[in-house]
Amino acid sequence: MAIPVSQAWTVATYVIKQKLAGRKRYPLVLMLEPLFRCNLACAGCGKIQYPAHILKAELTPEECFKAVEECGVPMVSIPGGEPLLHPKMPEIVQGLIDRKKYVYMCTNALLLKEKLHLFKPSKYLSFSVHVDGEKEHHDFGVCREGGHDIAMEGVRAAVAAGFRVTTNTTLFDGADPNSVRRHFDQLMDAGVDSMMISPGYTYDKAPDQKHFLGRARSRKLFNALLSNRKKRWQFNANPIFLEFLMGKRELTCTPWGMPTFSIFGWQKPCYLLQDGYADTFQELLDEVDWANYGTESGNPRCANCMVHSGYEASGVNYTFGSLKGLIATAKAMFGGTYEDEKALKDLNEWAPTNHGQLVQIGSGILSAESERVNHSESLVAGD
Amino acid sequence: MATEQQEHLKIEELQQLNPDQIEVMAGRDRENLEGWIPVLATEAEVKDALEKAFDYRGDVTLTLKSGEVVEGYLYDRRHGKTLDDSLVRMMPSKGEDRSRRSIPYSEIAALNFSGRDTAAGKTFDAWVKKYWEKKAAGETNIQIEPEKLD
Ligand code: SF4
Repeated sequence: MAIPVSQAWTVATYVIKQKLAGRKRYPLVLMLEPLFRCNLACAGCGKIQYPAHILKAELTPEECFKAVEECGVPMVSIPGGEPLLHPKMPEIVQGLIDRKKYVYMCTNALLLKEKLHLFKPSKYLSFSVHVDGEKEHHDFGVCREGGHDIAMEGVRAAVAAGFRVTTNTTLFDGADPNSVRRHFDQLMDAGVDSMMISPGYTYDKAPDQKHFLGRARSRKLFNALLSNRKKRWQFNANPIFLEFLMGKRELTCTPWGMPTFSIFGWQKPCYLLQDGYADTFQELLDEVDWANYGTESGNPRCANCMVHSGYEASGVNYTFGSLKGLIATAKAMFGGTYEDEKALKDLNEWAPTNHGQLVQIGSGILSAESERVNHSESLVAGD
Repeated sequence: MATEQQEHLKIEELQQLNPDQIEVMAGRDRENLEGWIPVLATEAEVKDALEKAFDYRGDVTLTLKSGEVVEGYLYDRRHGKTLDDSLVRMMPSKGEDRSRRSIPYSEIAALNFSGRDTAAGKTFDAWVKKYWEKKAAGETNIQIEPEKLD
């Protein structure tokens, strides 16, 4: 089981209560961003582009607790920035555990090993370590050589110390599903409880504006990746959401399902888009014109979005929305290796794309590319 | 949210396509706003400039009609029916009192995109180029360092 039974029970009863209360919009996971500063500068990330005084600002533990209580979610994910740079992170995590919230503390794990002693293992706490693929893929994605080894050291140390560890893998254009499947094996071998995966976010402010996956290619990639899957792979994701990524099912976005709270307040409307901030969660629910968001809205900024912050809650909603949903989820959880000849063929014939330099370090293609880059006078270094 | 002017090319392109057929998503083109001092003569110019300031990932400087100068990060704006009931929200970067400010559009006399655009100039191509230059020079543990904050 990818998540503890107590967590599954808490979430199920929470969702059923919301449904019985007739609530149309309810949050499932709070995306709590206590700071924006980070010790990496990944090309695909659009979260850290702020002036220094903003990067130095952080939420107090009390502000974090107030936000969690205000929206009443059973689960809290702490992305950032890098949460381990927040001096009061252990206090924040403990305060959330004391409130019986299931916490996913997202980290690039550069500091995990040295800070592990500041946390106590608990069924309520998971370290969610970002590992974006095999060694070379991860290192290039995070723009740091050696990043993968440090992250995996952190994973192993946390597993050995008795913590629950999940991983989070974000895939951009150029990702090779064969490599990602080997990566899954490596993660399970390292003892992680479960893995999360997501297509890369189309951050408006990310340095890399060329490698975002569109919906069609995302589906092809995830179908090749997740069909014919190994039984030992444990995913920390709603199975309906995974089927959505594989193109087996349609879901509409529920941006209020994973609301984001940061130093600016409640982000309108979702984790990805910044259309302003509300001061309270209720104001967020009341003031956002939700019909303007989601792929089906026609809003071009939502056109290719398949991210978990928009669609995973939709999967959960589907699960608990009808008997059909419950049966489909149970089938996916207990039966699903998703055997698929066509996907297997796609996997076997998968060719790396030329512009996916971030996944081709050391290959002939990249070496040729580097020649071109090194001898081109037209390229301008940005920093 | 980027302004219409910043987004219109990509939006036009996207509107021609069915999302389910999009293979690779084009990114956004960025306007170079750093150092810009817009003219704020008409209501439309005020609204457009402040919308761009909201989208801008650097500090801006506002000169108020009272003569006060406020420098900081403009993290939100609220649209009302008039300039009096529309406002920007800022986190000041300087001064003793760093508490947040809400400033009506009607009180703003001048705007300067004074801070560096922190989202500009670091392309992935530049990282790839620098990576291979450093590799060729025999460097190890190559990385893009996050910026120093002091
Ligand atoms: S589709 Fe994506 S970008 Fe649009 S509202 Fe939903 S989560 Fe946000």
